[in-house]
Amino acid sequence: MAEKKKEVLLKIKDLHIEGYSDEEWIEIVHGVDLTLHRGEVLGLIGESGAGKSTIGLAAMGFARDGCRISGGSIEFDGMELTTTPESALRALRGSRIAYVAQSAAASFNPAHKIIDQHTEAPIHYRIQKRVEAQEDAMQLYERLRLPNPHEIGFRYPHQVSGGQLQRAMTAMAMACRPDLIIFDEPTTALDVTTQIEVLAAIRDIVDQFNTAAIYITHDLAVVAQMADTIKVLLKGNEVEEAPTEQMLGSPKEDYTKSLWAVRSFQRKQKPRPKGKAAVPVVSVQDIDAAYGDVKVLKDVSFDIYAGMTVAVVGESGSGKSTTARCITGLLPPTKGKILFQGEELPASYKDRTKDQLRQAQMIYQMADTALNPKVKISDIIGRPAQFYSGLSGGELKSRVDELLDLIELDPSKFYNRYPPELSGGQKQRVGIARALAAEPTFIICDEVTSALDQLVAEGILKLLDRLQRELNLSYMFITHDLATVRSIADEVVVMRQGEVVEQGPKDKMFKPPHHPYTDLLLSSVPEMDPNWLTTLLEERGVDNVGEAANTGGKK
Amino acid sequence: MGDILSLVAKRLGYGVITLLVISILIFFAVEALPGDIAEAVLGQSATPETVAAMREQLGLDRPAVIRYMEWLAGAVQLDFGVSLITGDPVSSAISQRFANTLFLAAYAAVIAVPISIILGVIVALLRNSIFDRVANVLTLTSISSPEFFLGYILILYLAVKTSMFPAIASLRGDMSFVDLLYRTFLPALTLVLVVTAHMMRMTRAAIINLLASPYIEMARLKGAPPWKVIVRHALPNAWAPIINVVALNLAYLITGVVLVEVVFVYPGIGQLLVDAVSKRDFPVVQACCLIFAATFILLNLAADVGAILTNPRLRHPK
Amino acid sequence: MSLFVIGYYALLIGASCLAAYFAKRSAFLLLFSLTLASFIMGIVGGVPALRAVTIAAATLALAAGTSYAFREFLVQILPEGISKEIKTAPLTAAFGMFVIFTYAIAGIFAPVIAPHGEAEVISSAFAPADENMLLGADQLGRDMFSRIVYGARNSVGLALVATSLAFIMGALGGLFAATKGGWLDQILGRAADVIMSVPSLIFALLMLSILGTSLWVIVVVVAVIYSPRVFRLTRAVAGNVVVMDYIEAARLRGEGTWYLIRKEILPNSTAPLIAEFGLEFCFVFLLIAGLSFLGLGIQPPTADWGSMVRENATLISFGDITPLIPAAAIALLTVAVNFVVDWMLYRSSGLKE
Repeated sequence: MAEKKKEVLLKIKDLHIEGYSDEEWIEIVHGVDLTLHRGEVLGLIGESGAGKSTIGLAAMGFARDGCRISGGSIEFDGMELTTTPESALRALRGSRIAYVAQSAAASFNPAHKIIDQHTEAPIHYRIQKRVEAQEDAMQLYERLRLPNPHEIGFRYPHQVSGGQLQRAMTAMAMACRPDLIIFDEPTTALDVTTQIEVLAAIRDIVDQFNTAAIYITHDLAVVAQMADTIKVLLKGNEVEEAPTEQMLGSPKEDYTKSLWAVRSFQRKQKPRPKGKAAVPVVSVQDIDAAYGDVKVLKDVSFDIYAGMTVAVVGESGSGKSTTARCITGLLPPTKGKILFQGEELPASYKDRTKDQLRQAQMIYQMADTALNPKVKISDIIGRPAQFYSGLSGGELKSRVDELLDLIELDPSKFYNRYPPELSGGQKQRVGIARALAAEPTFIICDEVTSALDQLVAEGILKLLDRLQRELNLSYMFITHDLATVRSIADEVVVMRQGEVVEQGPKDKMFKPPHHPYTDLLLSSVPEMDPNWLTTLLEERGVDNVGEAANTGGKK
Repeated sequence: MGDILSLVAKRLGYGVITLLVISILIFFAVEALPGDIAEAVLGQSATPETVAAMREQLGLDRPAVIRYMEWLAGAVQLDFGVSLITGDPVSSAISQRFANTLFLAAYAAVIAVPISIILGVIVALLRNSIFDRVANVLTLTSISSPEFFLGYILILYLAVKTSMFPAIASLRGDMSFVDLLYRTFLPALTLVLVVTAHMMRMTRAAIINLLASPYIEMARLKGAPPWKVIVRHALPNAWAPIINVVALNLAYLITGVVLVEVVFVYPGIGQLLVDAVSKRDFPVVQACCLIFAATFILLNLAADVGAILTNPRLRHPK
Repeated sequence: MSLFVIGYYALLIGASCLAAYFAKRSAFLLLFSLTLASFIMGIVGGVPALRAVTIAAATLALAAGTSYAFREFLVQILPEGISKEIKTAPLTAAFGMFVIFTYAIAGIFAPVIAPHGEAEVISSAFAPADENMLLGADQLGRDMFSRIVYGARNSVGLALVATSLAFIMGALGGLFAATKGGWLDQILGRAADVIMSVPSLIFALLMLSILGTSLWVIVVVVAVIYSPRVFRLTRAVAGNVVVMDYIEAARLRGEGTWYLIRKEILPNSTAPLIAEFGLEFCFVFLLIAGLSFLGLGIQPPTADWGSMVRENATLISFGDITPLIPAAAIALLTVAVNFVVDWMLYRSSGLKE
């Protein structure tokens, strides 16, 4: 990276921010310090609720409705933002400090063309005339490798894809060549293959114009590519700050170490059972499916054997969740069939017997929506046992206690509680217990760890593995996260646009040669190495990542 | 643009079908009378001869479906048959009164629409301030009051106690326009009070909803001054909700007008409907109901079409 | 300048200054804008206008005081869970609760409270108020006050029955439509569209002109007219719940529709439905009042507020406020319910964020 001038641009001292909820002001940021030099990129990292975005906005002297800066100082290039009048603050925004939001699709005004929104700030600040500003926008689009840079700006936001919009928003932030840009989770809503091109574009442009940036994210591997310095936040407090290399190599605090502990858990791959037991528990045979007239699955086939975990991988829209809906019978396939232990299942769940329903259970991604917030934990777990096995009274209670023990939650504490009182990991465990209560042989796990923080996710994976061994369960593991696949899968099915691209045992799948798409997917997952993106771009060339490579790999 | 035309056409078609269903409802509801129309209208004075004569006159011996078709064909040409009480054609009784009603509604709308939209936007910008709270209490009180309550209060204070305006809105053909406005001021004001409150609340809600959008925050973070945020970023997206608010409230005016006409003895179609209902003059009742329903549907349709036409996603398809 | 005017302005300006001194921004803004408005009103309307403002302010203060006391009373007597909620209620909502409470007492104990029967003729027509008749007599010489009290029972009772019926029909329809989906959803949705595309008062007039004005006809007609509103809301609320994964889990378990509605959907839809019941009551109550006012509602001699306005309307031209009393009774209850509903909606929307 280029040589940076060591001139202080932004200095935040003892920043306190309060949020208004339930009729009172509650402090959500408790005294954070931050120093940023010109041309430097600072990564702000933390879990949800750590106060990252709030601090990012405070660096612009801005507080959302229902928030207020209650103490401390924010000094930007010699100006004290907490005491600056609103009109002077406004003059900074867009011209000297710019902002890139998480969802570009929602943050572009649907009523105006992209380029008109781009040129708004330069024209407003009389930096450029309209035509000059448009010329400049097109150059930036080209620089960010947007397709048709001379034409794309004249489209409306809804006519452009998510990854392109995110780059267009980065270009817009650059319009007045600001000294500082706040990137607020700019790639969180994107798929990995799209994320990579946005990351490359952001890094390139920040380097080129020597702009300082605050890069906010929850993804360590991403921030490792972008930032010179990393600051870790937890619940509105600073945990530690260090240069990226040092932070990755030798974190000091326990909390940081726990974040860094990448999937230490890994399990040996199991072979398929042979001989008589060789009837797959679930066999998906040549299914097609459609939502209305839109065909979403084509000739999907794979088998899941007893006691094994099959990971189904793919990006959003690849049809992995739709396949699960076909297996559970929520979406009857238009062609093909699903066998359960050799017998064909009725296409719709409505036609299946109670026993067929009992055998296949499901665990969901969002534990918040998977558990009814108005039902007690004991009833959530007890209902399947009552429904399928007819248990009641003391028998039911001891079964629920047994299940709670199984998922490592203390029955006496959790029996009478409601889901909103539980943490994310605890909720997910209750979801697992509900599936187990039916005494199934097969469980579909739909992105069960992707909404959880790393450490909690690992606990859930270990629990699932133990349960599999003890109860001889088969799992279909839907995920987009290859790290999870590495740690828990026996076999891998890679899906793309409703079709199976490649499948096989895990060890084989993670070794080359790959199918081009599998290769793209594997290589697009950011790694904890700060040089990963640079190396990748050198290897593949800048035009062979993301969407460009994605269409190139299509057969 | 093809998309948008087909959407509008679809919406129009749907409106026509709804109107057709309602015409069936209106016609056959009367058919469902115990006995038949003739007996119901003549009531206790019915003798076998008079009933038979009236049946003859109304053509009740023919099947209901055929009579419905004839009625509908007539209605399309604004011929609603003959009043059972006066024997005059219904359309002649209705036309002048309908014009009067439209005049009153338009009078109220011309005052209420600009005031309430401007006030609604102001209150939305001042949200959670003391003025917003006071406005909230006042508008809630206004929409909670029956129209006749507001009407009589106005009569009591502005007509009886201070004699500033006439209490009874009698109309004559030779009145000048200014005189007309003066004489119908109180009924119009009553409607304005109710509709303004409704419209203010809806405008406020629509604007606040809009101001919470991420692109408004983005505009503020780009350094746009408040007026520019409103004019350039909020307003182009606010047309749909505002058109909706206006159309819904104009539709509401059409209903509210019935009670107000009775309070002020205003010679409109609402007064006519109420009279016809009490005299059981069914052709008039049917005609009035159909006209009210058609106006109502038309306004709702206008709201939907307006929302479609101002939606940038639909105006500029992929 | 009378002493009253001097005192009036002295009080307002003094209070404004105090508010400003103690940095009560909103109170100051309110007081001082009232002062400015009073200058104009004083010039245009003279002393009577200022007197009217004083009376209005005193009434408001009294109402605020009553509401405050009533809220404290509720907080004291109710169990902790509810009282915590009520503590957060604004004064308007407390006022609403107080009015609803008063009406309920009046309605339930009408025969005990009312000094005379609702149809009992005790005096000459339009007799003025005396110690026997608090509010004077109506057009037949019946005691106005007694009829108002009985009206609380009749008018509100009828509206409650109609609202409940509309609510049961609409809510059940909405829940089933959301859970079952498919053709049932389509048919119910279309039927609701058709009913809602006729203005409610017009629809009611049409049906009542055909079916007559017996009580049960009014109840059924009004319930049919307003059930689509409940249907749409319930359908929307339940529609949001139905897409939740826990509903999918229950369906995949093989649970029946009725179990889904009762155990999974209903517990998650109660808050908006209760608020909607209040709103719906206001609509129904105003519609029935309007019908009564037009002479198509509850028939005499039963005391009913809407009809009472109509019967005494002629008095207005003599500057007598008697016909306004039943109308005010209607408005007051509707305002009260709306205040409470407004608070509930605010709370539920606040919790969502």
